[in-house]
Amino acid sequence: MISARLALRSLRREWRLPELRTLAAALLLAVVVLGAVATLAARMQRAIVMNSASLIGGDLAVDAASPLPPAFAQHAHALGLRTSRFAGFPSVAFAGGRSQLLSVTAGDAAWPLRGKLVVANPSGRNANVHAPAVGEVYVDHRALVALGLQAGQSLQVGGMTLRITGVIQQQPGAGDLIALAPRAVLSLADAQRAGLLGTGSRAKHQLLVAGSPAAVAAYRAWAKAHLPGDAHLVTPEEVQQRLAVAFARAGTFLKLSGLLAALLAGIAVALSAQRYARRKTGEVALLRALGASSRFAFGSLAFTLAVPAVLAALAGVGIALALAALAFTYAHGLLPPAARAAPLPLGPAFAAAGIGIAVLGGFALPPLARLQSVPPMAVFRRTAIQASRRYDALYAVPVLVALGLLALETGSWKLAGVLAASLSGAAAFTVLLTLVGLALIRRYAARLGPALRLGVSALARRRGISLIQTCAIALGLTALLLLAVIAPNLLQSWRQELPPDTPNWFVINIETAQRADIQRALHAVGATGFNAMPVAVGKLVAINGVDVENAPFRGHDLREEAAQQVRLSWATALPAANRIVDGHWFQPDAKTPEVSLDIAWIRRFDLHLGDTLGFLVGNRRIDARLTSIRQVDWSRFNVNFFVLLDPAHGATLPHTWIASFHLPRTRSAALAGFSRDFPSLSLIDVNQLLDRARQIVAQVGAAARWVLAFSLIAGALVLAAALTMSAAERRHEAALLRTLGARRSQLRLAALCEFGLLGAIAGLTALLASALGGMWLAHSVFRIHAFTPPWATLALVALASAVAVAALGLAGTRKIVRTPPLRLLRRD
Amino acid sequence: MDDSDRANMALISATGVSRHVEGPAGRLDILDDVSLEVNAGETVAITGASGSGKTTLLALLAGLDLPSSGSVRLDGHALDALDEEARARLRLRLVGFVFQSFHLLPALTAEENVLLPLELDGAAAPLARARAALASVGLAARGAHFPYQMSGGEQQRVAIARAFVHQPRILFADEPTGNLDHHTRDAIADLLFRLNREHATTLVLVTHDPVLARRCGRIFDLVDGRAVAHTA
Repeated sequence: MISARLALRSLRREWRLPELRTLAAALLLAVVVLGAVATLAARMQRAIVMNSASLIGGDLAVDAASPLPPAFAQHAHALGLRTSRFAGFPSVAFAGGRSQLLSVTAGDAAWPLRGKLVVANPSGRNANVHAPAVGEVYVDHRALVALGLQAGQSLQVGGMTLRITGVIQQQPGAGDLIALAPRAVLSLADAQRAGLLGTGSRAKHQLLVAGSPAAVAAYRAWAKAHLPGDAHLVTPEEVQQRLAVAFARAGTFLKLSGLLAALLAGIAVALSAQRYARRKTGEVALLRALGASSRFAFGSLAFTLAVPAVLAALAGVGIALALAALAFTYAHGLLPPAARAAPLPLGPAFAAAGIGIAVLGGFALPPLARLQSVPPMAVFRRTAIQASRRYDALYAVPVLVALGLLALETGSWKLAGVLAASLSGAAAFTVLLTLVGLALIRRYAARLGPALRLGVSALARRRGISLIQTCAIALGLTALLLLAVIAPNLLQSWRQELPPDTPNWFVINIETAQRADIQRALHAVGATGFNAMPVAVGKLVAINGVDVENAPFRGHDLREEAAQQVRLSWATALPAANRIVDGHWFQPDAKTPEVSLDIAWIRRFDLHLGDTLGFLVGNRRIDARLTSIRQVDWSRFNVNFFVLLDPAHGATLPHTWIASFHLPRTRSAALAGFSRDFPSLSLIDVNQLLDRARQIVAQVGAAARWVLAFSLIAGALVLAAALTMSAAERRHEAALLRTLGARRSQLRLAALCEFGLLGAIAGLTALLASALGGMWLAHSVFRIHAFTPPWATLALVALASAVAVAALGLAGTRKIVRTPPLRLLRRD
Repeated sequence: MDDSDRANMALISATGVSRHVEGPAGRLDILDDVSLEVNAGETVAITGASGSGKTTLLALLAGLDLPSSGSVRLDGHALDALDEEARARLRLRLVGFVFQSFHLLPALTAEENVLLPLELDGAAAPLARARAALASVGLAARGAHFPYQMSGGEQQRVAIARAFVHQPRILFADEPTGNLDHHTRDAIADLLFRLNREHATTLVLVTHDPVLARRCGRIFDLVDGRAVAHTA
């Protein structure tokens, strides 16, 4: 209580101290950055789920081969959820002697609950609508071309004549990989009346629900327990596997950026605490001499730091929330409109405040705890303070805190460990470089001019502070270079993974004889990048000679997965977006069958190189030896397979082909003619998925710029804190030197030398550490393999930073140089 | 040891005290086999040239440091048998300090600086006592001022108020007038000795000022860490 009172009294004057202000500002920044990023990320996650929801048409769907029991809708209503029912089925439409197979969606008046059904009405104006009224139908442009119709005319489906009242522009479910033929939307009542949904139809029935996340979660749990045998749940997370990598990357990228900024603030906190502790050494000795316990002295200092820290953290929460709210309101590029309507999540900002306090505790503890070893004798003689090794272990605390936070945010101890090791490595390298530099200075200083000697020997004299300064500036610069140079380059590399000619259509069920014709026909409509791969559909039947049914799998789900259909392919060369992580690619003309698997399969079924897998394709059994393990980049929009066989044996299996190609969006309508010419083929449109993936990169880019802005301020704080660490000593020395007749120009040159050397060491370390760290992050964390560090930019920025350090150091001494020496000596 | 034993023995006793430190040129002896006893109510000046070990001896007597050999007893307590926390408690109860460079906490007002020992000790009615102490050094009106707003003499008066406020039995003063001009020096010395009399405090004073030393009942002179004269 007394220590708290003493702390509050001290604060009344000490809040003006630069180190306390830096500490509070650094903490404020850490909380603002982490809070804003986490709030943004939480909302983006919600936006992404909403995006996916818009593809499903609701927050959750129950998909079944027959209409669901009424209890499913009733329970949803009881939970306050909105519901909608629809059915999807293929049906042939007729008009004026022409016919076309259509992919029909028959929805009730509420369909869709999420996402948009946009149609152009006969007057050409776009409108957001629900499923049409009885007697009406919406069709897409491909259907109109195929049937030779125009909006306003009629067509026949299932014996009904329906008037075309709109041309579909956008429709939920378009990202569904089984959306095939030209589309039509009609009313569920019409479909039921026409008997299109009766027994024996190929309709799939869906019940959509939408509402609050809690109610949806409750319904999900209930539905899972009550699902009929032929039904399954369709969730937003599962709906777009290809985007999963992008989501994960986006989350990791933002969290790491935010955390680097926070660690940067941590360095500023550490420096401030170090300086504060140095300032307070005499005071602690006095308190001890007056009879205060060491706990009292430590307690009052800790309390003095805690008060501004807690206030700064709370202010940080407020600012983070305000910024996030502002970003949602004004930064339209950041989030889709639907997400902006969602309430602002409060949890992440308060969690950030907690992390901020952890950063304070971790980074400020070591210098403060060391004060406990200040003997009361120091009240007479500062030299009585002996370097105590007792508290050295505490310097591991900030490292552990950083490690823990990295692990917490990234969910990976390995990633955290490597990052922390990299930063520690950078620090160790800086220490080494500084020590070598100081040794050289001691040896050759005598040969330098007086001003130069003064500058560089100042570094050698304050060895401890010099080491802390170079380490802090080097780590700060490393974090800044990672954020300012490496991160945008990573984003650019990521963007380049989805270049403008990324395949946006897939075509399946191609017979071998059709391949050449199809390639020609697609080329004729303007398609490029045609890439076909064989595909055989089979089943995994045995692992190492043991039937899959009898294999000792760890769970029922795994057994079910193993029993599912498997698509096998083969290729002479390793396909693009595939990387061998173990084993070797197929030898040409392998004598016995060989197989290559994606690493996901290896993990799922606990397989090893050399294992034998038995597949059944039709009535052909093939037993292949596992010779390589691949890592497939599923975020690329290429045709990819979990299972690849060696081409010599694969080609003997009954198979069809799957091809991908790029077709400019403006030419999509030309595919109507193509699907009429090749009615057995199925076309899959992945444009919307591609849009989503690109949107995520753009959103991450926008958010990263925010983080960077804050990081720059945090970096400036680190610099300020580091440069002012030796301010008192420098002021005293300058005053003495001025008294002894040193010229201003000599003092300036000395300062330039001192800080120039400091900046050069920090710049060099930061350059190397950020380049190596960037390469490691790209390859191991983000799996972007085309990344090379932008050496020229890095070198330029590192050089500029070194110059900035020197210039700022010099600017900091300007006042000292101009003040009459007597005043400076008196102040001491 | 009970209270009657303590009453019969010296309040401060140092026996065969030596203090040495390891320096770059080997062992440096600061104090060599020094013995001293100070009884309750006595005033003792420790004198000597710069570097003769005066301040080190004061620090050892006050329990701020421990001797390399020999022993120090303060009010009957063997200091080397106590850990640093116990010695701190003993100082809080028994001792007041006045330093050459005042050592006021810069972030606290004059009144709050004087309050500090009372609050550390959990004393009753601390504010009234602190104000009375400030009044006794003639600074009743300056209680709300910070050290940087006061002259050197005023700061030392605040320090003296702080030293006496919790009624310590012993006052240790290290060159209390060393940082002051001639006129202020006399005023401060007068104040120190007046309060010492009023409170019947035992005073141990380090000084190289012979005039100030002569105001004490006894002078203990040190040369190169050894006691050379013991003037009564």
